[in-house]
Amino acid sequence: MAFEAKLQAFNSKVNAVTLGTGDKAITIGGQNVMPFYTFDAAIENPQKVGVEISDLGMEMCTVDGLKDFYAGCNTVVDMAKKAETIEGASFICLHLESADPNGADTSVEDCVKLAKDVADAISMPLVVMGCKNVDKDAEIFNKVSEALEGKNILVLSAREENYKTVGASAGLAYGQKVGAESAVDINLAKQLNTMLSQLGVNEQAIVMNAGSAAAGYGYEYVASTLDRIRLAALTQGDAQLAMPIITPVSTETYGVKESIMPESEMPEWGSMEERAIEMEITTAAAALTGGADAVILRHPESIKTIAAMIAALN
Amino acid sequence: MAVKGLDIFKLSPKTNCKECGSPTCMAFCMKVAQGAVPIEQCPHMSDEAKALLSEATAPAMKTIKIGAGDAEITLGGETVLYRHDKTFVSKNVFAVPVCTCMDDAAVDAKLESLKKIDYERIGEREFVESIYVHGEGDKIVDLAKKAAATGRVVIVETTDVDAAKAAIDAIKDTKPVLCGATKDNFAAMNEIATAAGIALGVCGDSIDDIYDTIKALEDAGNKNLIINVTGADVKETLKNAVFCRRGAIKDSDKSLGYPSIVNLSRLAKGDLHLQTAFASLFTLKYGSIIVMEDMTMAEALPLYGLRQNIYTDPQKPMKVEPGIYPINGAGPDDPCILTVDFALTYFLVSGEIERSKVPVNLLITDASGMSVLTAWAAGKFSSSTVKKFFDEFDIASKINNRTLILPGKVAVMKGEIADKLPEWNVVVGTREAVEIVKYLRDGEYVKAAEAAAASKADAPKAEAKVVDENAPLDFERIAASIPEIKKVDMGVTYKTRNVDSQKFITIGERIHCISPTIKAAFDNWDPEPILKRAAEQIAAGATYLDVNIGPAESNGPELMTWAVKLLQENFNNVPLALDTANKKAIEAGIKVYNRTNGKPIVNSADAGSRIDNINLAAANDAIVIALCSADGIAKDNEERMMHCHKMLDLGMSLGMESDDLWFDPLFLVVKGMQDKQMDVLNAIKMFADEGLKSTGGLSNNSNGAPKEVRPIMDSTLVAMCMMQGLTSAIVNPCDKRLMETIKSADIFKNNELYSDSYLDM
Repeated sequence: MAFEAKLQAFNSKVNAVTLGTGDKAITIGGQNVMPFYTFDAAIENPQKVGVEISDLGMEMCTVDGLKDFYAGCNTVVDMAKKAETIEGASFICLHLESADPNGADTSVEDCVKLAKDVADAISMPLVVMGCKNVDKDAEIFNKVSEALEGKNILVLSAREENYKTVGASAGLAYGQKVGAESAVDINLAKQLNTMLSQLGVNEQAIVMNAGSAAAGYGYEYVASTLDRIRLAALTQGDAQLAMPIITPVSTETYGVKESIMPESEMPEWGSMEERAIEMEITTAAAALTGGADAVILRHPESIKTIAAMIAALN
Repeated sequence: MAVKGLDIFKLSPKTNCKECGSPTCMAFCMKVAQGAVPIEQCPHMSDEAKALLSEATAPAMKTIKIGAGDAEITLGGETVLYRHDKTFVSKNVFAVPVCTCMDDAAVDAKLESLKKIDYERIGEREFVESIYVHGEGDKIVDLAKKAAATGRVVIVETTDVDAAKAAIDAIKDTKPVLCGATKDNFAAMNEIATAAGIALGVCGDSIDDIYDTIKALEDAGNKNLIINVTGADVKETLKNAVFCRRGAIKDSDKSLGYPSIVNLSRLAKGDLHLQTAFASLFTLKYGSIIVMEDMTMAEALPLYGLRQNIYTDPQKPMKVEPGIYPINGAGPDDPCILTVDFALTYFLVSGEIERSKVPVNLLITDASGMSVLTAWAAGKFSSSTVKKFFDEFDIASKINNRTLILPGKVAVMKGEIADKLPEWNVVVGTREAVEIVKYLRDGEYVKAAEAAAASKADAPKAEAKVVDENAPLDFERIAASIPEIKKVDMGVTYKTRNVDSQKFITIGERIHCISPTIKAAFDNWDPEPILKRAAEQIAAGATYLDVNIGPAESNGPELMTWAVKLLQENFNNVPLALDTANKKAIEAGIKVYNRTNGKPIVNSADAGSRIDNINLAAANDAIVIALCSADGIAKDNEERMMHCHKMLDLGMSLGMESDDLWFDPLFLVVKGMQDKQMDVLNAIKMFADEGLKSTGGLSNNSNGAPKEVRPIMDSTLVAMCMMQGLTSAIVNPCDKRLMETIKSADIFKNNELYSDSYLDM
């Protein structure tokens, strides 16, 4: 009896969502198979890799490779332009972390100006990531969406606490794409998507951030949540879980000790930069294998590697 | 495809001879279908039937053992494609290659470098478990010997039959793997592997070739195989890995049900970062042995962390070992922070302490892997467990500093811990881990510890109370020490109940110390709030009332005696479930309990650390709620029934009636364990089929759901459960919809004669 492959393409699909405009616009999602399962059916839109640029500028560069790469950049805008040259990068993620009221508390106006300057300087699609303070983020996303109308940006993210404001401004008033972020929990993810849809946000304008964790740090919850979301969309045709998924990786991995413990304190661990890169790569590869349609990374070497992985599997 | 119990039953002798150990042929066949017992255990099954069933009921994926002695590793045995469906079983192994093409110095250097990767992570040794020896000719023999000398499992990969034979002969006692059976040489390779009793790896240019070779080997009687799924590139390799696992598990093709080898050193072509990405991919997608060109610490840290995460059982929390964890270079003179052994708690707390840069000794106590509040509520994190931990680990002599910081969420334990650990200055820390950095940097705890020390110095030295925990209770002293029982007319009477009634029994859950009002009432011996909640529940139709007094470590017997008398004297001897981790309290409560309206219920025993409560119930002629779990939720109904039978056996051996053991399948939260709800319903059916009674905290199913949705979910579930044979539930009787559903179901079940106004009865 010869081997007989049973293929498993589904009738349902992940929604295809386009970010950005012009030649550099990207589309994520659209597949009707599990991640990388090109043998079951062709995958139209390979996953994409984005570059995280913090509004803290060079402060983000905690390892030599990052410092060297961005050397000579005087502004965050310079860094964003430079980031576009990274091999494998498809979009830029401006992380407005300094807006946090418990941190530098950068004003909404300054955030908007920076976002506008970055958007004007780059040609790749722009993702704007907030500071995690739900009230401040709601304000920022409202103004940024207004200022960048027509740029087809993605705001990260609307959450349970502020989805009405963010959905109404970014999604309804200014036609941007809305990120829907929930803790690592499939029921919460579905609920938030449902509420955004009920608000009137087009299902095709929603991208999920179903939560993230660094490899080794409770990643099992992320792995199973991603598996279950994808299976729900494909096998059950659950329209409220059919949104493509974007997973911020670097914001998680650069917080764990493997990435921040200097070699001087942990000589047996070797180079801190190498550890930070491998942690980013391992986590990103796992997220893509689970169902992320886009990942956000920091180190040019990680970005190049993950892009090469995606290319090799498509 | 899984065979159904009924299909097996058709082939069984149907004589109920019991020689297999099961009471009936049906019961035996059900167990066979679940894979709990082998079909061969029935001496009367025909050979034909056995052969048929043994094949049909064999696991979808075989378990293959490689290596010998301490180095032995188990591969395969997986039953699901996604870990949330059950769990992944055998974690993948990492291997590093050495080749006959390398010179001796390079080989030695490589083997030596592996020693650097060897560390512990959450109770697990992380190292490169295997060496992949490949190449041709005589040289492979010495190479295999060298590799075997490292104590790691050797995989010999060659298609050269003579070389394979010589290499395997040299190291066969270490139970290596021979990798290299192809469509051309499989007969000879099979002979070598079979003679040595080792696993044989199957290779080929395509999945079709590999499949044909597996079939040929199986025909030759060899099922101790591993599939080398490595293709020409990573794309083909993933395809092969998925086809094998999916074919075995989803499509029941047992010839694909073997562990896999993925050789990344051939796929990443020297790009070590790309290799890490692939290793991550195959850790998730069905690699059993992953061969890496090299393993550095930078690669190992995230990959082993990922592997550890992925191979945890989704239903069993990841635990860290109890003990002292010095952080930021802490020594004996630095303060201690206490928390539980749930791995996520440990990571959060230790991470925040690290960020604070303040040297702290983190004390991890055994709480069965539960989070702080859950462990406290379950009695797994109490002043007694903390005291036991301090004694067992001899903390007082290892740490000189006497500042002990507790999690803010269990501030209530402060007094009791201070009593049990009088040398220590007990301080309440933050409620959330994220607040730790600020808390430690601001040094708030220093002032608090000074204050604690000062208040102790001021207080008159109390005589150290020597409490003998095994001493019999002095019931007279207890009765004399409690406040007088206050009689209050709440306008509600409990109607005398027929204890033989078959009607569904509701146990009202509203007198629970997790409610702040009730907790305050117990703290202050204040009868009003307790009577008020009792009256509401009785008016709503509760059969029993649950009385949860919390861990009550210092005054449990007094408190329970008071509560039982208070409730029974005010409400016509309403029957009660006594709910606390304090056994003495239950014993004291039963002593004053009036049985007119039903026996007391001991809430609760389990098949693990709380199994003693069955003895307690037996000794006091009480009913016991028996949770079908040991530590953590049972992973499937096979495990639930195993716990059930263990407790049933114990109860019967102690002279209990089986009707006095009420089995609790443990209701699970829909938000989070939706796919396990049918298991719970089926477990209830299994209890009922064996004539057993059942109960449980049914409303747990809707925990976290919106307030307006919960009654709908609860009442639907109770109807489904009653159909399955549930005889009781611990519920909120003030939920009208739920109570009406129960009354209606009792009508349909013919437990209550219908009349138009049955809802008012």
